[in-house]
Amino acid sequence: MSLDGKTGADRVLQPLTSATKGHFVLLALLALGTLWMLFAWFVQLRGGLMHTTSLGDWGVSGGVPWGLYIGAFVWWIGIAHGGIAISAAVRVFKLERFAPIARIAEVLTVLALGMAATSIVFSLGRPDRIFNTIVQWPFTVHHSPLAWDIAVITLYLVLTLTYLTLSLRDEIYEIRDRLPYWLDPIYAVILIGYRPEESEKVEQLLWWLAVAILALVPLLSGGVVPWLFGLIAAQPGWFGAAAGPSMLIESLTSAMAFVVVTIAIFRFAYGWEDFIRDAIFRDLSKVLALLTLATLWFVVHDVLTGAYLAPHHVGDITATMVSLPFFWIAVLGLGAAFIYLVAQLLRPSLFSVGRLTIASAVIAISILNKKVMFIVEGLMHPSIPPLTNLYPAGFYFPNWVEWSLVLGTIVVVGLGFVVIGKIIPMVELEVVDDDETTPRMGDPPLTDDSSEDATRPDTEVN
Amino acid sequence: MACSSITYEEGIQMSSGSDPPRRSGTNGDETAGSGLEAGGDADAEAVGSEMPDLGDQWTVDDLDEDWERRAVEMLEDVDFDTELGVELSRDALRLAQGELTRAEFNEKHHDDVYEEFGVDERPTTEAGGIEYESSTRTATSSADGSPLPSVPETDSRPVPSRRGILKSAGAAAAVGMTAGLAGCLDGAAQSTTADATSGEDGNDVQLGMAIDMNHCIACLKCVEACKQENDTDRGTHWMHVFRYEEDEFGDVTEEYMPRPCQHCSEPSCTYVCPTQARHKRSKDGLVLTDYDTCIGCKYCEVACPYGVNFLGKGEPTDKSPGFTGSATDERGETVGGPPPTGVMGKCTFCVHRQDDSAQRGTTACEDDCPVDAIHFGDMNDPESDPRAYLRENDEESRFSLLDQQGTEPNVVYLGTEPTKDAEPVDGPYTYEDLDMETLAESQNGGDGE
Ligand code: SF4
Ligand code: SF4
Repeated sequence: MSLDGKTGADRVLQPLTSATKGHFVLLALLALGTLWMLFAWFVQLRGGLMHTTSLGDWGVSGGVPWGLYIGAFVWWIGIAHGGIAISAAVRVFKLERFAPIARIAEVLTVLALGMAATSIVFSLGRPDRIFNTIVQWPFTVHHSPLAWDIAVITLYLVLTLTYLTLSLRDEIYEIRDRLPYWLDPIYAVILIGYRPEESEKVEQLLWWLAVAILALVPLLSGGVVPWLFGLIAAQPGWFGAAAGPSMLIESLTSAMAFVVVTIAIFRFAYGWEDFIRDAIFRDLSKVLALLTLATLWFVVHDVLTGAYLAPHHVGDITATMVSLPFFWIAVLGLGAAFIYLVAQLLRPSLFSVGRLTIASAVIAISILNKKVMFIVEGLMHPSIPPLTNLYPAGFYFPNWVEWSLVLGTIVVVGLGFVVIGKIIPMVELEVVDDDETTPRMGDPPLTDDSSEDATRPDTEVN
Repeated sequence: MACSSITYEEGIQMSSGSDPPRRSGTNGDETAGSGLEAGGDADAEAVGSEMPDLGDQWTVDDLDEDWERRAVEMLEDVDFDTELGVELSRDALRLAQGELTRAEFNEKHHDDVYEEFGVDERPTTEAGGIEYESSTRTATSSADGSPLPSVPETDSRPVPSRRGILKSAGAAAAVGMTAGLAGCLDGAAQSTTADATSGEDGNDVQLGMAIDMNHCIACLKCVEACKQENDTDRGTHWMHVFRYEEDEFGDVTEEYMPRPCQHCSEPSCTYVCPTQARHKRSKDGLVLTDYDTCIGCKYCEVACPYGVNFLGKGEPTDKSPGFTGSATDERGETVGGPPPTGVMGKCTFCVHRQDDSAQRGTTACEDDCPVDAIHFGDMNDPESDPRAYLRENDEESRFSLLDQQGTEPNVVYLGTEPTKDAEPVDGPYTYEDLDMETLAESQNGGDGE
């Protein structure tokens, strides 16, 4: 825990004490984007949800009551798993080579969860009353899937924030004198009750927290979130037992993709090529390839069950789905990205962080597209015959307010990173230090890593 | 002697709901678990054509071979041992005729029932000293008297049980059904003098409708009346009339089906609501939205299979002088009239009228229907308008809309259920003719299918 090797730490800490022109430009752009989002939200609040968006009532009106917002909600929840996936790899499975990106991924989790909640708020007709869900929670939790969601998401957020804060304490304590003084109150909060002797205990605690958060992943993205849809018998497009597994896989895919994009941006912006090495990206690309394949595999299942001798109304839904360009855009995006991922694994010369980042971005967006499709598709063909055919088929395309709000959440995550990047070190200093003295992340020979891991004594926890 | 009119001391409750969130008093007063006690009157007007309606005055002799054949058919549908079912029914008959005592009956079948269904809540010891548990069990389903099985009610069940989730649920329901039949006949045997009104328990009203599609002429007066009465938003149709064609091997017929909220006994909308804003009023079984609590999440809307929910748009139709009823109901909750912007609304069965002694028992749509197609009243009261109407027209086929969805609707239609191939048509009147456009037409360029 010494800070002898100053250079790495210096470079990680530099963003905290100084800022470049580029930083201010970025900050200004993101702030503008956020302001635009707030403006769009203001328009929506003033005009009423049904007036200012393309959402409508299903039934006589042939509208779609849940659309882009709910799609974005599910998407952000999925992305929030990126943080715990990386942290768990490092802490629980001892894949230390991912340690340099753990902090960024954890911050991503917190921001993504925040955006998930925000997306829900956007979707409410009366967001001012959101706390009714909490007030009524004890009475609704035994029957409303939305109440289950609130519970699990809150738990997830609390655990992740605790995790992040605890993992920061040692570091902040050590380097407090080098941190910007005007942020002292924030550091004081992070360090409440800190004693240097706590490190070991905290390490243990972090291990357990990581395990707990890990357990929440299938409960959230493979459980309560898909149950929001899979349990609703009224919508055959949603109803089903496979919603959980397929959504979990999709969520993890988008999470990994988003992590790749985020760390690539950080690495590019701060020139951190020497601690966030290519090897990390290569490893992530393997995971991503596998997950993308699984996602595509679920798509095949979905289409086949809806196409082959399917009940009338389910067949209709599938037929419409495959006739919509958005479906093919999503599938093509995933397919193309998958082909690239496999190609660069087979032929390392095709690999570049830039290309991988583009492929990941395509995957992340394709999955957002897919989630929105899933929700909207089900509602475009709601209920079962005879009502399905007696009501007009639904129609939906998000309007500028909805696009502004959902793209706005991405901007806010960017803004969040830019701001938080000025408050806490985005790479664990311990990792950077180790890195200076004993370079342990072989670049690029991946095979070294495994042998290295095997010889590393498991002394840290338990 | 109608089965429907018997009060039998075991008090088998024809509960029509297992655990829909129900509220009686103040906001948040959770009374989940209180099934709707519908009295033992539910068998008279069968929905679905399988079981003949025996009317008010059946005797044991009415249970002829035809009845038995239909009973077999019906039992075959429920996936459990048909023979056992028939055997049970036959013995129930003997029970009714006094050849068997109840205790003997229960004793005789306990093992079989247990083996088949894994449950047998019927007591097997002599009736004198035992508590019949049947007050926590659903005997039959919808309050209007569908003979279809329902979910048994168990007080301790933490999550509302839905029909058809578990085999055991279905099994217990089948037991409940048979036991209900036995109980009914049992009652007949014991209480030969029960009078025809004792089916009314007073506190278990379930408002509902009988809608005669054969009368409906799709004049859309009910839709208009609803708009005027409730001042609903533009494009919002709490009451809607489906107009469609059925093509049966080339014979095309045009049919009309008015569709209010079904005020379900197992309302999926209340289950999913994260704020309890959507609830079932315990006094009369109305499914209402507390306009002061609803957050407009639209979950109820996506969970309802009937498409009757409309989020408040704050744009009242010019059909109406404004809502003049009381928005606040007897409990002090805001549930009547049009919902505020961003709050969920749907047909309230004119709740403001139900709370007003001068107008109680009427709805705007019923009042304005020129052909008397809509009959509104307490589906648990055999003397009510809808029940009497169903009885008078007992030779006509009837159905509950989307019955397989498990919501147990409280609207019974006389007529033929639309098929999956029903083709919507515009005539004879369109909403546009009457200045009540639907948003689908204005938004989607009328490509409604
Ligand atoms: S018809 Fe729909 S809105 Fe009405 S009670 Fe039934 S589930 Fe609820
Ligand atoms: S829209 Fe209102 S009534 Fe419907 S589920 Fe949400 S909070 Fe409940």
